[in-house]
Amino acid sequence: MTSTIIVTGAGGVGKTTLSAALGAAISQRGRSTLVLTIDPAKRLADALGIRELNDAPTRITGAQDMWAAMLDASASWEAIVHRYADPEVGKRLLANPYFQALAERFPAAQSYAAGERMAGYIETKQFDVIIVDTPPSGGGIEFFQAPAMANNLISGKLLKWLTGSNLPGRGLLYRFTARPMLRIADTVLGGPMLSDITDFLLDLRTMHDTISVRSRTIEGYLRQATTIVATTADPTPIHETRRFFNELGGVDIKPKAIMFNRKLPGSWIDAADRPIRDVPDEALRAKAKANLQAWAGEARRQSDAADEISARYHVPVYPIPWTSPPPQDLEQLRDLIADTRIVEDLGF
Amino acid sequence: MLAIDMLGQAGLATHLRSSSLGYDPTEVRPGLFAIAMNRSDALDEYLKVQLHIPHSAPTRQISAALAALAETAPGVREIISIGKPIAESAAGKWDAVVVDAPPLGQFQSYLRAPRTVAELVPTGNVKRLARGLAARLQSDRLTAIRIVTTPAELPTLETLEALTAIKDAALGPEPTVILNRVLASSGMSKSDLDLLGDGSLQEAATMQLHLEIEQDHWASQCAHSITLPYLLGVFTPGEVAEQLADRIGSPL
Repeated sequence: MTSTIIVTGAGGVGKTTLSAALGAAISQRGRSTLVLTIDPAKRLADALGIRELNDAPTRITGAQDMWAAMLDASASWEAIVHRYADPEVGKRLLANPYFQALAERFPAAQSYAAGERMAGYIETKQFDVIIVDTPPSGGGIEFFQAPAMANNLISGKLLKWLTGSNLPGRGLLYRFTARPMLRIADTVLGGPMLSDITDFLLDLRTMHDTISVRSRTIEGYLRQATTIVATTADPTPIHETRRFFNELGGVDIKPKAIMFNRKLPGSWIDAADRPIRDVPDEALRAKAKANLQAWAGEARRQSDAADEISARYHVPVYPIPWTSPPPQDLEQLRDLIADTRIVEDLGF
Repeated sequence: MLAIDMLGQAGLATHLRSSSLGYDPTEVRPGLFAIAMNRSDALDEYLKVQLHIPHSAPTRQISAALAALAETAPGVREIISIGKPIAESAAGKWDAVVVDAPPLGQFQSYLRAPRTVAELVPTGNVKRLARGLAARLQSDRLTAIRIVTTPAELPTLETLEALTAIKDAALGPEPTVILNRVLASSGMSKSDLDLLGDGSLQEAATMQLHLEIEQDHWASQCAHSITLPYLLGVFTPGEVAEQLADRIGSPL
């Protein structure tokens, strides 16, 4: 059976690096591992030292059985349509300008396509572990909410409003545009837009049964997955971490761990107050001491933040050391989390 | 001045030490007003103020349909969100409107939205409005884009990618870059490290020097107009904002 780890969190906290580190560590334990990024930016490729990532899994050289792939949203949507739509409807959908814009340009649609892709990989049973690196911020939570959103889209709140509670056939549709409300909407919004969208929704609606079953399946996989929230001590990521815990509860998902990235050694805090005896050069001593004190202040701030979130959410917080330069290769990626036991604790 | 939190996630409120921001401007300092976006209010306003829906129209139903549309049709949600700041700036009430925009990956969708909608909608008011928004966004007289980044690998690469994408697709005026969280030089050099023993003093100095090298490298990859300091050990968003405000001064 394939296990899934979802790494979520605010932008800039190093989610992709942490996902890659988890992938490197888990694959070293002899498990076939895929790291899947749905971030539009090509971060994972950078962290793994591959020039380009695409929709098909690329094998990472130097790792035992580690793969990486980036989601191409439009390719995934095409696959969904080919799989679930009647061929003729499928052809019409793929040619529809709304469909193309929806698939390529808008993050919410990407989140659904990503969930679908994740489910696809789980079902091929090709990998023992799949690690999903979600896009930052609202996008990260959206990943968990996307199946329900897709279901709403297909079951057609808008379509019902446009056409009444009984779903008409295509031919009957335009009869409804005679209704006064729609006539006003036509004038105000540009009527053809509404008709075009309605056409699009009607086609989409033919996939209703399969997509609604499918989105429930994806929700099931999301609930079974191990969710990890990545953060740093900075105010924005901490704020986002609170949001993730509050809002993920709404989709019945409880994160199992927090990876607290870029943690400084706690030993610096006490050391900063101790007198320095063994540096004879007075000017250097002053500079080095000022430097240590500045960083100790940062270490103190970090440790307060880590204590607070650990007390608030009752999940283990794994400190990940701040390394400069950041991990450059697989070995450094593995080293990054080697001291934490997070892989063992989570049962991978 | 009007500051707008476009995602409405309270980030701006905490930085301005305001307990909460609403859709109506709140004066947080003398002369500085702030709002947090809220999509259903923005939708309402879009319908009434921008689309000029007549009073006799069943606004509630149209608004319900548009709310559903916003979740369904590409670009509608984005255009409603970006339409608000543009409308505020066009209204002429403010000297400047500053928008705290979504992260770069999503931001480009917002920049693209007016044009996408203008292309998709064949005729009518929505198209006219979308065209107007696109024109305003593209005018370097009316709009300026600042990308805030940090001197590290991934933020820099993402910034460079976004700069190219915005330029290639002519999504807006050429952005300028603000380099945030830049460590001040410690004045130490590598040869000093051997003289610092092997405890925390040396560890912190090593870390600092490595970061200085890394940040110099990435800062040189991306032309930037303003540099802001890394505020080590500063605790609250309010403190961060105030200390940075003192340093930004006139360059903006």
